[in-house]
Amino acid sequence: MIAQTVLGKRGSIFLALCIAAAILVPVLTLKVAPNSALYMPPYVVALLGKYLCYALLALALDLVWGYCGILSLGHGAFFALGGYAMGMYLMRQIGARGTYANPDLPDFMVFLNWHSLPFTWWGFSSFFYACLMVVLVPGALAALFGWFAFRSRVTGVYLSIITQALTYALLLAFFRNDMGFGGNNGLTDFKDILGFNIQSDATRAALFSTSAIALALGYIVAAAVVTSKFGKVIVAIRDAESRTRFLGYRVEYYKLLVFTLSAAMAGVAGALYVPQVGIINPGEFAPANSIEAVIWVAVGGRGTLVGAALGAILVNFGKTYFTGAFPEYWLFGLGGLFVIVTLFLPKGILGLIDRMTARRKPQPPAEMPIAPEEQIAIPEGGR
Amino acid sequence: MLMTFFKALATLLFLVAAACAVTSPARADAIDDALGHFAQDKFPETDKGIDSLSGSGAPTAAAVMDALANNRLLFDPGSKQIFYKDASDTLFDAKTGAKAEGVDASTLKKVRLNNAVRSKLQSVGGSMALLAPDPTKRLDAANAVFRSHDANQLAPVETALAKENDAAVKAALLQARAAILATKPDATADQRLDAIQVLKLRGDQDAQGLLTPLATVAPDDASMDKVRTAAKAALSAISMQLAIWQAVQNVWYGVSLGSVLLLAAIGLAITFGVMGIINMAHGEMVMIGAYTTFVVQQVIRTSMPGLFDASLIIAVPLAFLVSGAVGIAIERLVIRHLYGRPLETLLATWGISLILQQAVRTTFGANNKEVGAPSFMSGSFHLGGLEITSGRMWIIAFTICVFVALQLVLRATPFGLRMRAVTQNRRMASAMGISTGRIDALAFGLGSGIAGIAGVALSQIDNVSPNLGQSYIIDSFMVVVFGGVGNLWGTLVAALALGIANKFLEPLAGAVLAKIAVLVFIILFIQKRPRGLFALKGRSVEA
Amino acid sequence: MTKDALTNSLLYLNDVKVSFDGYKALRGLSLVLAKGEMRAIIGPNGAGKTTMMDCITGKTRPDEGDVYFGGSTDLTKLDEADIAELGIGRKFQKPTVFENHTVEDNILLALKAPRSAFATLFGKAAADQRVRIDAILKTIRLTDHRLRPAADLSHGQKQWLEIGMLLAQDPKLLLVDEPVAGMTDAETATTAELLREIARDHSVVVVEHDMHFVRELGVKVTVLHEGAVLAEGSLDAVSADPRVIEVYLGR
Repeated sequence: MIAQTVLGKRGSIFLALCIAAAILVPVLTLKVAPNSALYMPPYVVALLGKYLCYALLALALDLVWGYCGILSLGHGAFFALGGYAMGMYLMRQIGARGTYANPDLPDFMVFLNWHSLPFTWWGFSSFFYACLMVVLVPGALAALFGWFAFRSRVTGVYLSIITQALTYALLLAFFRNDMGFGGNNGLTDFKDILGFNIQSDATRAALFSTSAIALALGYIVAAAVVTSKFGKVIVAIRDAESRTRFLGYRVEYYKLLVFTLSAAMAGVAGALYVPQVGIINPGEFAPANSIEAVIWVAVGGRGTLVGAALGAILVNFGKTYFTGAFPEYWLFGLGGLFVIVTLFLPKGILGLIDRMTARRKPQPPAEMPIAPEEQIAIPEGGR
Repeated sequence: MLMTFFKALATLLFLVAAACAVTSPARADAIDDALGHFAQDKFPETDKGIDSLSGSGAPTAAAVMDALANNRLLFDPGSKQIFYKDASDTLFDAKTGAKAEGVDASTLKKVRLNNAVRSKLQSVGGSMALLAPDPTKRLDAANAVFRSHDANQLAPVETALAKENDAAVKAALLQARAAILATKPDATADQRLDAIQVLKLRGDQDAQGLLTPLATVAPDDASMDKVRTAAKAALSAISMQLAIWQAVQNVWYGVSLGSVLLLAAIGLAITFGVMGIINMAHGEMVMIGAYTTFVVQQVIRTSMPGLFDASLIIAVPLAFLVSGAVGIAIERLVIRHLYGRPLETLLATWGISLILQQAVRTTFGANNKEVGAPSFMSGSFHLGGLEITSGRMWIIAFTICVFVALQLVLRATPFGLRMRAVTQNRRMASAMGISTGRIDALAFGLGSGIAGIAGVALSQIDNVSPNLGQSYIIDSFMVVVFGGVGNLWGTLVAALALGIANKFLEPLAGAVLAKIAVLVFIILFIQKRPRGLFALKGRSVEA
Repeated sequence: MTKDALTNSLLYLNDVKVSFDGYKALRGLSLVLAKGEMRAIIGPNGAGKTTMMDCITGKTRPDEGDVYFGGSTDLTKLDEADIAELGIGRKFQKPTVFENHTVEDNILLALKAPRSAFATLFGKAAADQRVRIDAILKTIRLTDHRLRPAADLSHGQKQWLEIGMLLAQDPKLLLVDEPVAGMTDAETATTAELLREIARDHSVVVVEHDMHFVRELGVKVTVLHEGAVLAEGSLDAVSADPRVIEVYLGR
């Protein structure tokens, strides 16, 4: 009954798929003989795992953009921060196996002639502490940023621009060697995670399954949020912010809560992403990455959680294919996607499917539809 | 290192001195006497030879000393005749300066040098140049003495001072004398006090260097007490002055950076600030302007190289047209359908920016393109303690022109009037017969065209690559938002303020941290004043 | 105005001044509303009606002057959410409902209940809320449309839904901005009836242009002009005032 109201039919299918993938993929890569048609090579597992992390990021972004109308162009920053937290744990696991064989310091610190571990790195030998930081650091940054931004009622494109400035500032900061996070090169050459060799097929399969389960859990949390009364309030904020205020809701706290939750989810996505790709560097903070994540959500259908996840997987599959087959044309394709989706598919692929099925049965779709026009303070104003 | 420096300095001074030597009447016996010293091949004799040669006024004096300094002065051990070689190994008679024919160079011996001889050469060369007829040469020589502050030069400087009429050279000579007196161990207290006053007026780092020892003379030397106090006072005055110049220099750098920011942002002030269109492809309009400049220069290089200095002037209108046309196309094809949906506009224009980048990359290649500077934009000059590079100065001047022109277009043309009407009340404007669609397209074209013009200027200071625009987009938005939308003056003030703030923070925190600090400041500032520095207040903007 | 006037009032505005970039929207507006009173406010465009509403609901802070609620609460120190919690509800000039929510959810969101983010995230809907929603839907004549998205409603129905949302807030004071603009005559009559019904147990301020509608309400009228009160009294009395005729009715 609860599953019915919270998840809906589409959500249940999505969850079933996530769980099926979490079980099937390890079987296909570990138990099936390499010459079999069903065999899944490890690189495919890593690739799919990466897509699932992106899907979780898209889910997080959809929560703030699709449901609350906050277009964050800085979610890549929360993703990267989560990734860095995990990367720092993985660096500490290298121990004395680095090039300089220093048991106390990561290679890049030895290279920089540092003699002791900076306080930012304390505790990262512990997996538990690292996991805590994966959620806390992005969450705290989002809470701090949101506390300033939402209280002073920065909305619409202004908010988008300053979120972009935020990730840009972090990009510049992480490029600096003095920051103590590996500078330009970032963190890489990981060896173990929880004592397992990070390169081994079994570990990769386990990481994939973890990602699939994380995505499923993320979906359940997001679905619970948007179907609660809280979810109705954030949609109300998206559609008519000042009306919501006059009803007595403290819009800023609602935004703050959903923004912080979303940032923490993005952090988890980043943390799962790093061990699967084997590197985290400041490039992850690039503003372009954050905007790309927005287009995943738009392609799938914002305001529909399944759509966001689906969009992330589809666009990234396309990216993998095109950058391999026609590297010259991928940016044309991606750019075109932005234009086409905003002009012709405002509700994304799921919106399109809904419209086609609605033609057959006249009932409105179960998922939350999108406002035809968002209420955003545009600079020239006017009533 | 030191040797090469001395050598170079000596050579320079001799070349300067050569001119002066021609004017004085030569006394043949004096020349013989002088050259005779060199033939002894003993250091003290060589020393004397230098003295008497410089006093002889021999026409070959400069060449001889130059040769001596460079180990090319030779003598015949038998005949005691002196020869010198020039840089191209041709042999000359030292007395007459004529080519020495029929002399076997292999029988000649070199006149040897030691450091004492070298410094002698240097100082004598300097004192000869102090009397050169050409004032610029005298000035150079005086400045050289100032730098070396060699006590042996005191007498020549005094002589030159007595004869000098040119004010600039006289001032330089006075400073040279002051430098000598400030360092000469046996200078009297009064001489030093005079010197301190002169050096204080000079007020640069050299003066600081000369004054510092004076300010720290041993305290038991009672007669030098006054000197010490005066030197200390002069030093603090100078460091104050230098600090002021440093600040002025920082302001200049800041204005220079601010003008770049303004150039990049001013088109956006139209499209975003006035029209409310959030155009993420704005940076690509700048990039297209820069590539237009590149193409113009390519054409000029291949077909009419004489016009190269005018290439930028030709590129300005072309860049305006090209970027403007691209802008109009974007507005008509995409943005027009997205009015009232700013977040969608943001995404669609971001997509367009990717397409434009890739299109340029496919056409021109991914690597940086070389855009040359016309001759009037290269070089630099000093203004007081300020160093100004011509390129930057022209960019500032250009920015001012663009700003003024844009203000005129908006305030004094029918188009500007219509555009303001449309942005203020679209329905009313439409009811009055203004074709709002056309105005939208033209206004967007104007903003884009101006971005293209900015690209012409930015091609001079930045790498022209497909990514050029990306590096400006965030800064441009920051400037417009910080200044307050819909207000060109706000954009101007914001650009300058951010530029100057950045340059003052840089020495304190380094370039990257300065930039981060400015970004964080703007993020916080927008929280405080969401509508920017010069926001329009009122009910209508809140709705 | 005396101290007495303040303590006995529900809403008390004294010498309120607001200006936007030199434009004086309110120039010394004073107004007192008694508890349980219904008041109609009329005035030409730019008279300051909406700015007055903004000052009362915390959207705009007055440059000068006092705004008191219930005789003791200084509204100029509070923000929109605080003021809404105090019991002042506002209906906008343009009907503003949550278009993507159902009619029922619109009422649910307005219903008097804990407003904190955590309460809404983890709270459960109480049974008595159902009863309240049913009652309100009946009052605003939208029971049959309860599951439709608000976007599908007609203009008049949206106005009623918004009034219903105000009722759900159960405010002490309702501010209603041009409730019948764009309505048919039948809808206007129904709206007037609705408002009179509401006025039985709420204080109401109605801003309106429509003279028929004001007459139908049959309450005390305040005429605003250029950001200040021009006249006050029964509709007949103010209609006879030559100054009012000059600035407003005479045109």
